[in-house]
Amino acid sequence: MSDQNIAFESPATKLQQILGGNLTSGMLTFGLVVVLCVLPLFVGGSWMFSLGICFANSIGVLAVSTLVRYGGEVSIGHGFFAAIGAYSVAVLDTRYGLSILVSLPLALTLGVASGVLFAWPSRKLSGIYLAVSTMALALAVPEMINNADGLTGGYEGLYVSQPAIAGIKMSFQRYYAALIVLIAVVYALARLRQSRQGLTLLLSKAHPAAADAFGTRKDWARIVVMGISGGIAALCGAMLGFAGSTVSPSGFTLWASIFLLVGSVVSFYGLTLVRALVGGAFLTLIPQFLSASGAWIPVLYGLALLGVILFGHYLPRIKDRIAERKGGLT
Amino acid sequence: MEFLSNTARDLFPLVWSGMITGCLYALGALGLVMIFKSSRVVNFSHGNVAGFAAFLIYGFSSGVLLELSWGMAVLLTVMAVIAIAFATYAVISPLVFESDLTATIATLGVGLIAQGATLLIFGADIVNLDLPVPRFSMSVLGLLVTGYDLTVLSVAIVTIGALFIVIDYTKLGIAFRAISENPFAAEVCGLNLRSVHLFSWIVAAVLGVVGALLIVPTTFLSVTTVATFMLQAFAAAVIGGFASLPGSLIGGILIGVLMNLFTFYVSPEFSSTFLLGVILLALNIFPNGILQRVGGSRV
Repeated sequence: MSDQNIAFESPATKLQQILGGNLTSGMLTFGLVVVLCVLPLFVGGSWMFSLGICFANSIGVLAVSTLVRYGGEVSIGHGFFAAIGAYSVAVLDTRYGLSILVSLPLALTLGVASGVLFAWPSRKLSGIYLAVSTMALALAVPEMINNADGLTGGYEGLYVSQPAIAGIKMSFQRYYAALIVLIAVVYALARLRQSRQGLTLLLSKAHPAAADAFGTRKDWARIVVMGISGGIAALCGAMLGFAGSTVSPSGFTLWASIFLLVGSVVSFYGLTLVRALVGGAFLTLIPQFLSASGAWIPVLYGLALLGVILFGHYLPRIKDRIAERKGGLT
Repeated sequence: MEFLSNTARDLFPLVWSGMITGCLYALGALGLVMIFKSSRVVNFSHGNVAGFAAFLIYGFSSGVLLELSWGMAVLLTVMAVIAIAFATYAVISPLVFESDLTATIATLGVGLIAQGATLLIFGADIVNLDLPVPRFSMSVLGLLVTGYDLTVLSVAIVTIGALFIVIDYTKLGIAFRAISENPFAAEVCGLNLRSVHLFSWIVAAVLGVVGALLIVPTTFLSVTTVATFMLQAFAAAVIGGFASLPGSLIGGILIGVLMNLFTFYVSPEFSSTFLLGVILLALNIFPNGILQRVGGSRV
């Protein structure tokens, strides 16, 4: 299994090497943050709204990528965790009048808890078996939401209207709240990558037997990764609810979960701000451009998914070929 | 006493109709397992492609695309589906040999395209697609048996029987079994992996069409009908161990009966949640049949 996982990751790692070192990407990220912070001064309300959704989707893309990077597993069920986050925000908002400042920590806690709860029975599964169980998880989500309509509002969904900070224009709050959470998640993931715990998880993925010898069981690593990933996905859902101002079961179908995976693949499973934004923008802006002809969206996503995977497959080969040719000339 | 007789009266028809739909789940599951056994890929596009095929039959026979007889429409659709299976395998075959997980994600892309194509050509409307089956029903031991039931049963028996005979007794079947046992050794012995993979992809696609055709008369045909039906097929394959053809047959029938009992006695609204539970339970109770993992790890 570990051989496959390494092969699975290799296009992304290769691409990272091609895209350049730490210093330039650090400056790029900083520049991007500055641009995104001042952007609302220049763009109109509808763009701010879309960008808020885009940031929220970027968080969801990060959740799937985290599972791929640290767990070596693929999920098509992250819509479940996103739904948990979205409904914690929406239910606290509508039923108790509490703002996102209270509900966001709750969403995170519930997301981590449900990630762990799902990971426990599926801790021994890997690869396609886990993918199939996450598919079942995703398919069960709309049903659960509709049947708990006393709490969730059923088919009609709920409206999120409480401001985080009273007195500031709601459109600005929606934009900046999503942006702040996105930056916080990217920062936390960067710290995780350098921490002992993060390295342990990576070791457990690449060399389970070695990690076992150092006292990290594979099951434990899986549960931790699912917990982290579920928590991030819940933040995505919470932000989708807050930035999009409505929460309804139609937003958390199997397709929504598959789209998150598409975004993650399109961003080459990257955990940086730029990559996450690429994935999020792909999921948010393309449906907006194609809103007149909705049926093209799945076709385009499918083609993009295949295209990126094949590109990742052939890129190293093409590079080798070019290097070979250069070597032959000199 | 009354409770017992009630249960006996309800139980028998429930189990019977569960077995009928179970045969269809088994047809879907057999396709998934054939592909998995030969190429280690889970074909997530199975349901969407089969759904697209059901729409094609509707389109060819109703005059939306062409106006053909039912038989011609099915023939044309089977040819189209074989072409789709061929194209799918052609696209993902380089990935199959690198990483099965990447190839599995790629099938999601194919599924998205099939879904989009269905929406583009036929729209999101609900249509009716009927089978030309003899309409009769008879009562056997208090059990209502319809022409549809017998059609499903006989088609399933013939298809699955033919498949098992091919796999057990023909050269192609032996090659298929050899590759699912040990692809490397099979290749060393001179077998062509790609052609056997292609065989399983094509057979799976045809099985999907048969399953979709037979399941549609029980409900209606929409973009999502066949795709949801495939969740049951996935559950059946998982129960059967995902790598065993007889297992997926038993799994299909088991899922059909269990689903029927669950919707009748517990709740019809939580069927997907119930399937999620069944899948997780099956994967945990019989991990050995499902995962060929090495016991214990040593450094």
